[in-house]
Amino acid sequence: MSKMKIVGNRVLRTDAYDKVTGGKSYTVNLRLPGMLHAKLLRSPYPHARVLRVDTSRAEKLAGVKAILTAADVPQIKYHPVYFAPSTAASMVRDMLILTSTVRFAGEPVAAVAATRTEIAEEALELIHVEYEALPAVFEAAEAMKPGAPQLYEHAPNNVVMNPSFSFGDAQKGFDEADYVFENTYRTQRVHTCYMEPRVCVVDSDTSGNLTIWSSTQHIFGLREKLAFALGIPVSKVRAVKPTYIGGGFGGKLDMGFLEPVAALLSLKTGRPVRLEHTRYEDFITTARNPFEVQLKTGVKKDGTFTARWAKSILDTGAHATHGAVVLMVHGFFGFLLPYRCANQKWEGMTVYTNNIIGGGFRGYGAPQAAFAVESQIDEICDKLKLDPIEFRLKNAHSEGEQHPFDPNFTLSTYRLAECLKKGAEQIGWSKRLPAGAGNGTKKRGIGFACQPLWVSGCVGFPDIYEHSGAILKLNVDGTVNLSIATVDMGCGQNTVLSQIAAEELGVAVKDIRVTYADTDTVPFDAPSHASRVTYSAGNAVKAAAASAKRRVFQVASGLLNSSAENLEIVDGRVQVKGAPANGMPLADVVKRAESPCVNMVPDGMQRTPLEEKGTIMGSACLAPASNPSPAAVEFVEVEVDTETGEVKVLRVAYAHDIGKVINPPGAEGQVEGGLQQGMGYALMENLVFDPSSGACLAADFLNYKMPTALEMPAEITCQWVESNEPTGPFGAKSLAEACAIVPAPAIANAIYNAVGVRVRDLPITPEKILAALGKLDPA
Amino acid sequence: MKQVIALEVNGERHEIAVQPSATLLQVLREELDLLGTKQACDAGGCGCCTVLLDGRAVYSCMVFAMSAQDKKITTIEGLPKDGKLDPLQEAFIQAGAVQCGYCTSGMIMAAKEFLTSARAPSDPEIRQAISGNLCRCTGYHKTVDAIRMAASGR
Repeated sequence: MSKMKIVGNRVLRTDAYDKVTGGKSYTVNLRLPGMLHAKLLRSPYPHARVLRVDTSRAEKLAGVKAILTAADVPQIKYHPVYFAPSTAASMVRDMLILTSTVRFAGEPVAAVAATRTEIAEEALELIHVEYEALPAVFEAAEAMKPGAPQLYEHAPNNVVMNPSFSFGDAQKGFDEADYVFENTYRTQRVHTCYMEPRVCVVDSDTSGNLTIWSSTQHIFGLREKLAFALGIPVSKVRAVKPTYIGGGFGGKLDMGFLEPVAALLSLKTGRPVRLEHTRYEDFITTARNPFEVQLKTGVKKDGTFTARWAKSILDTGAHATHGAVVLMVHGFFGFLLPYRCANQKWEGMTVYTNNIIGGGFRGYGAPQAAFAVESQIDEICDKLKLDPIEFRLKNAHSEGEQHPFDPNFTLSTYRLAECLKKGAEQIGWSKRLPAGAGNGTKKRGIGFACQPLWVSGCVGFPDIYEHSGAILKLNVDGTVNLSIATVDMGCGQNTVLSQIAAEELGVAVKDIRVTYADTDTVPFDAPSHASRVTYSAGNAVKAAAASAKRRVFQVASGLLNSSAENLEIVDGRVQVKGAPANGMPLADVVKRAESPCVNMVPDGMQRTPLEEKGTIMGSACLAPASNPSPAAVEFVEVEVDTETGEVKVLRVAYAHDIGKVINPPGAEGQVEGGLQQGMGYALMENLVFDPSSGACLAADFLNYKMPTALEMPAEITCQWVESNEPTGPFGAKSLAEACAIVPAPAIANAIYNAVGVRVRDLPITPEKILAALGKLDPA
Repeated sequence: MKQVIALEVNGERHEIAVQPSATLLQVLREELDLLGTKQACDAGGCGCCTVLLDGRAVYSCMVFAMSAQDKKITTIEGLPKDGKLDPLQEAFIQAGAVQCGYCTSGMIMAAKEFLTSARAPSDPEIRQAISGNLCRCTGYHKTVDAIRMAASGR
């Protein structure tokens, strides 16, 4: 590969100027003439039948334009998850736009559109709903017991999914083990905490065509889910790409109640309808599913795995939503695949309860597994006096092996060992003391965790979309418009994709503009999720740029008296390879193609040959060739105050096989932000519910605690292992999720190293540490 | 019943009719179309709506519009001077401190107040100053870099 001019450079984000001056183009800022404001009436009961809804008083309130109840909306059962088709066999369709049987406290039963938000809110209070309260259940273990309240007929004992997979013979493996370790790990419900609330505006025309703007991670998924739930063809829905969304992290990876409700209210009134969540509504409509993971592991004295068994129980709340796929990703990429072991068995259960619904969240089932697996490896190493780095390497996959997920793929680039080495050196692993060895009341400890295997998108997964499309159009001033459905959630996708296009086309990043896109005008792209955009959409953008470049060379070949094959573009100049003086600005080639029939050249007027005419464009629609795995390792140093139980994260050393870094500051930003989320998960975040009523007690930022700048460590280093993935755009593979998965187990292991006590349920609060130290009665 | 009040925002005087219950945030966004100030929680929990009130950083969702009369209000739109970005805005770009950008306006306004009094702030002081502003994307690392950069570039 020749030396790259743009990929790998520290590039400033293309959207930064706009965002530091107030950032106009968020969905939350969209206003349309005649726009109405909608609100949802939500059930206070966690489980109830709606017997009667009386809207008569609300209808009389001045300014109220439309009211919907379950009787007014299509009763089509749907699943809301964007990345899987509505009819996918693996997904459970158990949701209704408005329901007459509520299954969590906060499920909507009616909606109002009014001229002002305050009027809509007032109208909600005038709607009288008669409920018949039903018994409710809030613990997965309770929900599975005979006699527990049943949420659905299709799920006996509330178990909606119960997959199991085994390789080899687990019992034989345990028989061969020198030691068997058995522990249970629990993780809590946490929220993505995107800062821009979920919000949408829907407009309709007299033919029933809908246009929707929404703060979403996937416009094509929104189009499809909305059409399905409304029972209309997808062509009736145009979903417009939000220029910016104020964060997503998986929390905007499904259709909410708000979009179909706003659509129906718009159809009913003929006016644009806006619906914005309050923060409370955001908190109760998506979460990372809580898990209980029972883990049993057999090892030889030297640390070789002989058998691994796990049972994972996922509380999916009132609807299956993401629960089915989160469970499978958890089982495969969290438990079965990351390490080699001939004898493995895993059973997963997705269980309905009357808790709030789960959703996507960066890492998607793997953080819960990594906390269990990486904690237990640490426990095994401690007991057997083995080096945790050597232990992992002994059981890890190697570069060049067949990919354990899909035999069609190879781990063509895979440098976990190098990541471990770099991280260990950075943190000073060799100076680590034995567990609890420090003196004084404040004790320091070092720990680490790996996410040995992860995805770059979803090729190989049944039922999950994985293809991308991009269109590049060249302008007569030599600039380029890139039209692509990919949503930039804030991760910097637009900048990275612009770099890829610029590198391929031989122009500057500033010459690329990621422009308007909607589902009518651009090709399909899978969602911004699954660590996929740089790799998958990046490949499509690179191919589209290559296709535009081929057309540039065709047009330029006559002008430069050279074959198209012998041309190149360097710094915005089309030139003959090896004879750069023989060239012209790219803009002139585009002008030639866009010129009227007669063109002015130095020798006078000349006809442009017909075959050189026409806008220069390139497009590509493709699925990536593989699903290369990154490798991620995070080392942390913590300080634990044994008097208060408080944990401070002091230093973090992250290392990642990324293939190739496209934009280093963007990549660092992913790791730094991933740490904030993973650290919150490890130490403080918890979406607490009242165990009797199911009401959320932490549905605001005063009660839901996430790390602020004060808690975050000052020292975070990122080391990139550049293995140059052959199927990736300019060698790149994925980053975004792995760096949010590893912090929690790394911190848990460091806490153990500091104080010598193990906490197996998240979050590791001061109370739990003090209880483990014997200084406080366990709660 | 609405009352007519006068607000001075970014050096411009506006006369507007507001409900006594209206917050400054609502008035900035809904009446004055100053959409740079963001609402994320409307409960004083996140800092996205931070603006300056007589030079002091406040959560505009926690201030009644009526109580902001006779005070000078500065929003993110009021920071650039003579077509040039404020050094903080420039530093946020250069340091890569912006990701989704939704918290950025509030973060910059909180830092703006801080830098009017802090001459050569330490990193812990910077962290303290923005600890009332939540960000879910950046881990605050490059945000601290940006504020340090803006402080040292003066």
